[in-house]
Amino acid sequence: MDTGTVLRNLLTLAWLLPLAGFVAEIYALQLRWSHRLSKAPAQLAVACIGAGFLCSLSALLYWGNATEWAALKPAEHGHHAEEHAGAEHAEAEMSPVDALHPAEPEAAADAEHTAVAHAAPVPKFYAGTFYKLAQFGPLEITLDWYIDSLTLVMFTMVTFIATCIHLFAMGYMKDELTEEYEDHQVHLPGGHHFTRPGRFHRFFAFLSLFCFSMLGLVLAGNIFQVFIFWELVGICSYLLIGFYVERHSASTAANKAFIMNRVGDFGFLIGLMILITSLGTFRFFDVENDGVEQTGLFSLIRGDDGKLDVSDDPSVTKSVVYLRDSHGHRLADGTTPRTISYLLLIAAGLGVFAGSIGKSAQFPLQTWLPDAMEGPTPVSALVHSATMVAAGVYLAGRFYPMFPPEVLLGIAYIGCITLFIAATIAVVATDIKKVLAYSTISQLGYMMLAIGVGGWAAGLFHLVTHAFFKSLMFLCSGSVIAGCHHEQDMRKMGGLRHKMPLTAYTMLVGVIAIAGLAIPGVGNALFGQALAFSGYHSKDAIVASALAFSELNPNPLHNILFITPLVTAGITAFYMFRLWFMTFAGQPQDEHVYEHAHENPAIMTVPLLVLSLLAAGCAIGGEDGWLYRLLAFSETVPAVERATSARVATIVLPSHHDVHDVHGTAGGMALLAAFAGTAVAYLLYCRKVVNPDDIRRQAGGVYDFLVDKWRFDTLYDVAFVRPCHIVASWCQGFDQKVLDVVLHTSAAITVVVSKWERTFDEGMVDGLVNLVGTSTTNFGRSLRVIQTGRLRQYVMWIAVGVVVLFVALFTALPK
Amino acid sequence: MESVGLNAYLFVGAVLFVCGIVCMAIKRNGIGVLMGVELVLNGANLNFVAFAHYTPLGLDGQVIALFVIVLAAAEAAVALAIALNFYNNHLTIDVDRGNELQG
Amino acid sequence: MTTDMLFWLFAALVCGGALGVVVTQNVVRMAFWLILSLGSVSALFFLLHADFLGAAQLLIYVGGTVVLLVFGVMLTASGPYMQIKTSAADGLLGACVGGLLLLVLVSTISAMDWSQLHPAGAESIAFTERPEGNTIRPLGLAFLGLRPDRPGDGFSVKPAPGYLLPFEIVSVHLLVVLVGAAYLARAKRRTHASDDSLSA
Repeated sequence: MDTGTVLRNLLTLAWLLPLAGFVAEIYALQLRWSHRLSKAPAQLAVACIGAGFLCSLSALLYWGNATEWAALKPAEHGHHAEEHAGAEHAEAEMSPVDALHPAEPEAAADAEHTAVAHAAPVPKFYAGTFYKLAQFGPLEITLDWYIDSLTLVMFTMVTFIATCIHLFAMGYMKDELTEEYEDHQVHLPGGHHFTRPGRFHRFFAFLSLFCFSMLGLVLAGNIFQVFIFWELVGICSYLLIGFYVERHSASTAANKAFIMNRVGDFGFLIGLMILITSLGTFRFFDVENDGVEQTGLFSLIRGDDGKLDVSDDPSVTKSVVYLRDSHGHRLADGTTPRTISYLLLIAAGLGVFAGSIGKSAQFPLQTWLPDAMEGPTPVSALVHSATMVAAGVYLAGRFYPMFPPEVLLGIAYIGCITLFIAATIAVVATDIKKVLAYSTISQLGYMMLAIGVGGWAAGLFHLVTHAFFKSLMFLCSGSVIAGCHHEQDMRKMGGLRHKMPLTAYTMLVGVIAIAGLAIPGVGNALFGQALAFSGYHSKDAIVASALAFSELNPNPLHNILFITPLVTAGITAFYMFRLWFMTFAGQPQDEHVYEHAHENPAIMTVPLLVLSLLAAGCAIGGEDGWLYRLLAFSETVPAVERATSARVATIVLPSHHDVHDVHGTAGGMALLAAFAGTAVAYLLYCRKVVNPDDIRRQAGGVYDFLVDKWRFDTLYDVAFVRPCHIVASWCQGFDQKVLDVVLHTSAAITVVVSKWERTFDEGMVDGLVNLVGTSTTNFGRSLRVIQTGRLRQYVMWIAVGVVVLFVALFTALPK
Repeated sequence: MESVGLNAYLFVGAVLFVCGIVCMAIKRNGIGVLMGVELVLNGANLNFVAFAHYTPLGLDGQVIALFVIVLAAAEAAVALAIALNFYNNHLTIDVDRGNELQG
Repeated sequence: MTTDMLFWLFAALVCGGALGVVVTQNVVRMAFWLILSLGSVSALFFLLHADFLGAAQLLIYVGGTVVLLVFGVMLTASGPYMQIKTSAADGLLGACVGGLLLLVLVSTISAMDWSQLHPAGAESIAFTERPEGNTIRPLGLAFLGLRPDRPGDGFSVKPAPGYLLPFEIVSVHLLVVLVGAAYLARAKRRTHASDDSLSA
């Protein structure tokens, strides 16, 4: 078996195992394999996702071995080659340009200039088709798979985090292991609490389905398949956010999440329609079908060199992008070259990105994510780290080659706005989960910003590191909540590090990671980088990309793209340390909560420890570390040279070289901002130099504005919900005043007519029929009397009859 | 010539016929009823033969009479079988007991 | 003259026998009167020159049917059932109706002018005038489909149809009827349960 087949089999196994788990868990109770008090569904779910993780990890290692870890060798970024990369690997060096198209034999020939002949080019990706669902003319609906290092890393990350969360949830959800679960947040009219059977098995079934959907999305080889799993992820999040469906807030939040996602998915659908009508395929990659090469989306738009082949027409509306095949030749129908309008390409890109906006809770559709905290905390951890919101960033990353620079600029600004808004709201939030939720939105904004400014690998790098430390922090918060008997208000906590030290210090690891603190100058012996946890490295990369972008684009407006994340890095550090100080440090604020707080059992703390190790160390080495290089290996659009576009706007995307040049500056500034934020938090919430309440009073307007989440909910309420209600009330009025009257009148008429008919039927028709029936019966009854059954009588009657007949004939008839 | 003519035979046939009818009508014994039937048939037969002799009906009358005799024999056989069954079922031959056909 | 005397004798025997059948209550005596009556009918057949028919009447009726009836009497009329009396009312009613019927028949016969049936000039049918009075041959030919008595004239009058087909039908019919009679009259186990169910 070749490498692709092995990888496909392993990842397919990892992908389908949770589905099998889901089916088994759903039917376990119905088919009486299990009962409500059994932990078997959870163990099954953990087994499935754990086996999935092992498959994914072995796929990653197999891929590494098969490619001789070419991805980890220092890439040829000009002078960026590091001395510690080891001279023994130098012969295997290859530039990203070579790596882009090694799948083609021609590319192999092109690659002969690499130093040693035996170093065959490593395929950038493996792809193929599982199954062809249907074919409508030229349109094929297929199940494809597409495996590159991004897929592998995502699979490993998702399955690993999901395994940790499943384990944690086994402890967290143990309240549900009962026949009568009393929901203290649902009040019945009689003053009682709502009780229902526990839903332990259902929770794990949904978790399994969620993992299946996310893995399917990552493995998908065409955009339509992505859309299918995209919607599956949406419905799973709906089910899990609304897990406590009896709580009004939970069901509302679930609806909100679903509807907000629909708004984004509408754009996604438009993008899909543009793609299918203009390009005629959904596939990412090229396939050869019956000797005819069907060019995939990426090759059509980017050709073989990763550049858009834009026509020279100066007019924006008339300029087109020539479609090319994988060898860089322009495609043509007869003599007419196949093209797509540049504006249409922008529209398609924006449409697909609209889907990402909804799923990743970007401005302006970010409002659902904080409400989604209504779900159980393990769900929040899963949604916020590995699955739901990661899907949006993953799609933006996967679809990156399809985005023209103008769309990327839009993505950057959306991310920029999002990260700032969310961070400011997080500053004033008091619910421990809400703070984390807003920090998630903010960090997702960072990722989008990175992708938008050309820092593709930086964005996805942050996606992975963020997944680790955010899942860690959410599980920590879950541990706090479980330890404090479902108390989520930070103002009632404090000093909890004495009660739950393990949770407190693993949380501290996550906080430091997200804040991006580092000890500069203390060189890491191996990589020569600042000693820091994962968040520092990834955020550093993003800020550097942003700085390079704003330097390359002279438009002063674009400076915002650098300054905002920089400032927000400080705010991030502030609110995260505020959270930690308020929760774990200082004096207990609420004796009752403090008295009852306790550390959780090992099944909940062990995942915390494991995750904290990864949150700390997964990004070791920064941009020279293994994780970044693995991801950067999949970069489909080479960032070796600056890409300049001057269509709608003049945009220059920085190259790796540009980013590297400003890396030091950006890193330093970000670190400074982070330290400043940390210091302020320390002073305010630990030292209590200034009472935060005083500041709150001083800046009352701003505070209220932030507490109201920038009044987005109010805005949407006024702009959409209320008009909708008004229109609905009009419709209701119309229905009641007009339609109902018409209907009721016709109904009344019908009833009257029916009554008449009934009278007629009963009186006339029935009477007639009954009369015929009764008269027949009576006649027959009267005739019955003469049927005596006596033989002699009959004979006598015959004789009498003959006589009478004769007499009658001879007397009545004339001769 | 005051000789015995057709009418004399017809009168005898009529007497036979009426006796048969009356026999059927008043006999409670099933066998007696059958005897009445035989009388009726013989009355008819006598008429046929008389017509064959005195009218141009000729041989046809005798042939029909022959058929009647044969069929009467068959009828007697079946009727006796029925009478036996009747007797088996009712333990009597009294036809007044066989009023199952009463409406 | 002798023929007339014989006719009146046998006519009286026929009528008396028939009346005896009607009047007698004992079924065995009824059978005797029936034999007398039917035998006299055969004598009348001889007087009418229907020799074969008279012989058949004696053989089939007196020798066959009446014996069959007597067997029926023996099989059914045991002990107390020998005599089933006819009530006086029934008898009176039967006499009235029978008298009326006889009156109707006699008046009808008398009112009819039978000489119209005779074709002009044809006094009587030839073969009945034959002294030997043998009707066997023409009857046999008629059953084989030939009609020597009505040969037709070869032009306008066609030969009368024979009786081959009715003869065959009747023979088969007779066979079937006798088989059916044997089936009906076969010995059956008599049970009181079936008796009850049938009389119920």
